[in-house]
Amino acid sequence: MLGLLKLIQSIIKTLHSAGTPGQVAAGMALGSALGLTPLMNLHNLVIFSLLVLLNVSFGGGMLGWMLFVPIGFLLDPVFDAVGLRLLTAPGLRPLWTDLTNTPVVPYSNFDNTVVLGSFVGWLVLAVPIFFAARYGVAKYRATVGERVRQSRFYKAITASQVYNLYKMFRP
Amino acid sequence: MKFKLFRWKAVGPLLLLFILLGVAVWIFAEPVARETTEEASTELLGTQVDLGKLDLLPRRASVELQALQIADPFVLTRNLLEADAIRLKLNPAALAEKKIVIENLSLSGMRFGTSRTTPARAPSGKGFTPQVYRAVQQWTDQFKVPLLSLTPVDTIRQLVLNPDQLTTVKQAQRVLARTDSTRKALEQTFQQLDIRPTVDSARALVQRLSATDPKALGIEGTRQAVQSVQQTLRDITAARRRVDSLERNARAAVAFLGQGVEMVNQATQQDVAFAKSLLKLPTFSAPEIGTALFGKVSIDRFKQALYWAELAQKYMPPGLLPRPRPGPQRLRAAGSTIEFPKAAEFPQFLLQQGSLDFSIGGTSPVRGAYTATVQGLTSAPALYGRPAVISVGRRAKGSAVAAVDIGAVINHLTSNTHDSVNARLRGIKLPSFDLPGLPFRVTPGIGSAELVFSMRGAALSGRWSVRANKVAWTADTAGRKANDIERLVWRVIGGLNDLSVMAQLGGTVSSPQLSIASNLDQAIARRLKAVVGEEVARAERMVRAKVDSLVAEKVQPVKRQVAEVQTKAMQRIAGERQRLDQVEAELNAQLKRLTGALAPGLELPKIKL
Repeated sequence: MLGLLKLIQSIIKTLHSAGTPGQVAAGMALGSALGLTPLMNLHNLVIFSLLVLLNVSFGGGMLGWMLFVPIGFLLDPVFDAVGLRLLTAPGLRPLWTDLTNTPVVPYSNFDNTVVLGSFVGWLVLAVPIFFAARYGVAKYRATVGERVRQSRFYKAITASQVYNLYKMFRP
Repeated sequence: MKFKLFRWKAVGPLLLLFILLGVAVWIFAEPVARETTEEASTELLGTQVDLGKLDLLPRRASVELQALQIADPFVLTRNLLEADAIRLKLNPAALAEKKIVIENLSLSGMRFGTSRTTPARAPSGKGFTPQVYRAVQQWTDQFKVPLLSLTPVDTIRQLVLNPDQLTTVKQAQRVLARTDSTRKALEQTFQQLDIRPTVDSARALVQRLSATDPKALGIEGTRQAVQSVQQTLRDITAARRRVDSLERNARAAVAFLGQGVEMVNQATQQDVAFAKSLLKLPTFSAPEIGTALFGKVSIDRFKQALYWAELAQKYMPPGLLPRPRPGPQRLRAAGSTIEFPKAAEFPQFLLQQGSLDFSIGGTSPVRGAYTATVQGLTSAPALYGRPAVISVGRRAKGSAVAAVDIGAVINHLTSNTHDSVNARLRGIKLPSFDLPGLPFRVTPGIGSAELVFSMRGAALSGRWSVRANKVAWTADTAGRKANDIERLVWRVIGGLNDLSVMAQLGGTVSSPQLSIASNLDQAIARRLKAVVGEEVARAERMVRAKVDSLVAEKVQPVKRQVAEVQTKAMQRIAGERQRLDQVEAELNAQLKRLTGALAPGLELPKIKL
């Protein structure tokens, strides 16, 4: 229940943040990597750093993460198959062999079928996610956004302490 | 408004986050590494591995393990190995590539075969090592080691046999069904053969020609008559070929039925053996006695060697092809992690050199200083280029204990893999063990033991021997009184001071063969034969008569029907052939008459049909 409330809170805050729809969408596209791929991997540290450092919506990133976690779980068999296909492709074997024997790179766990498959899956999905999110946010703000902003529910959420902390990272 | 790509104000919080992460790693790395090592080792070895403490020494690229316990997968209350401290010196360059290359390994405070305070978890699950464990357990079941039965012979009068238990009856029913179908098939073939039109037509021609005067036919009439005879002779030859073909088929079918009868006879032999087993008659066969007495203890030795050899086959595969292994356990799917070995690079795991100097103190017969070395234990033998060698040695001059020498070679450089172990223990206290199925226990005392095991591909060869000359025997007849035969065997073995057992393993992993010989076999066999031989022979005759009486009414009709099918088929073939021969001879006579009238005294060349 708490998780659901947090999700709603995150959605509301992000949709009404000062960021442009493009910034929110870019944040969601980056954040979706955290949800689609197994979290405890080196590439996600880079993604998180980019979310913080780049002028994109951090809230959008967190929203993307939360939205794509269940999708990541659902797509695991697909990612596994994709990763296996890539890692066992004879044409790519020299590339994987070189990467395996390059310092630090093996810690990215690219040689795991789910990690590689989900990462490639995210690369493929990132652009559609960006455009879909940008369209959705723009449409929301143009239609029901102002009514929600005037609601008590929105005011209650924005008044919380967490929101103040969030504002520090908003675009 | 100018668009800013970077959010510079977030650099500080991000750095702070990284510092916090670093502190968390600093605090939790060792406990996490300890738990991970325990879990990974347990999964790799298929037996519980416990680790008291793990210290990371990054400046020296070393890891120090303390209070290591590796449980014996086959005896869960015992440790295979216990070590107080282990220090691993790792190769930093390999570590940067996420590879574990142990340059040097040193152990101290090692103990073997110690008791565990809490029993280890039995290997379970669907992983590779539990599968190997189960496969090895199933492997041992193939041997069917008989129990040495010392039941008094007078119990044979209680033999009760249910015909449903006998395979002969089932086998006879199968052969009966086969006989019916063969008879029908042969009948159908005879109908299809149908030589009657050919024979009838030939007979009609013979009758017609015999009523005709060749001289009245003229040249043209005679020529036509000769042509008719020749055509009919060709038809007869074709019919004979069909009969020959049918005979071949009939003989094959009858031979098949004969095999069925032979299988019925074999089933009867098996039933006799089964009935004898119900009586638990004592055996006089020395090899059987040897297997019954020392089969289990021998198989246990070979089983352990096979288990470790199978693990080596899995973890040390030959060649440099990519290798999949299960991915790490996590909430998300584990997937598979693929290894990509590369020539002239580090393998994923390598123990370059391990030197273990340890001593066993106290009053133990195996006390003394030991030296062990491990070289080239690696996940990619083809990269290392040399077989892995493990050796353990002990020398104790002036001690009652002579020596312990253990050597193992794991050669997986090519697909023709060869794993071998050679363990020789002299002058040590051998463990005591029970004689299976008997209320006796043997304590070999100080003696020597040797285990030689080799697995080349799937081919197995092994030898386990025990020799001791101060053997003590213990009778455990608590709760019941030993019977006459048990007392007899007790008198035989109780008088023996020497024990010499030699078990030999051969064959393949899927079809192993075990033979065991000991000095007890002949002694027990001779004595049993002398005392109860006549009674047992009489019991065996009775068993055979009983089985024969039960199966006779089912088997005899089958044998009779098989013989009947065989006889009828052969008689019918002979009859058909006789009819063809007869009509052929008559036709040839008519041909001769016709050609003789055409040119008396002229021998015509033989017509090739």
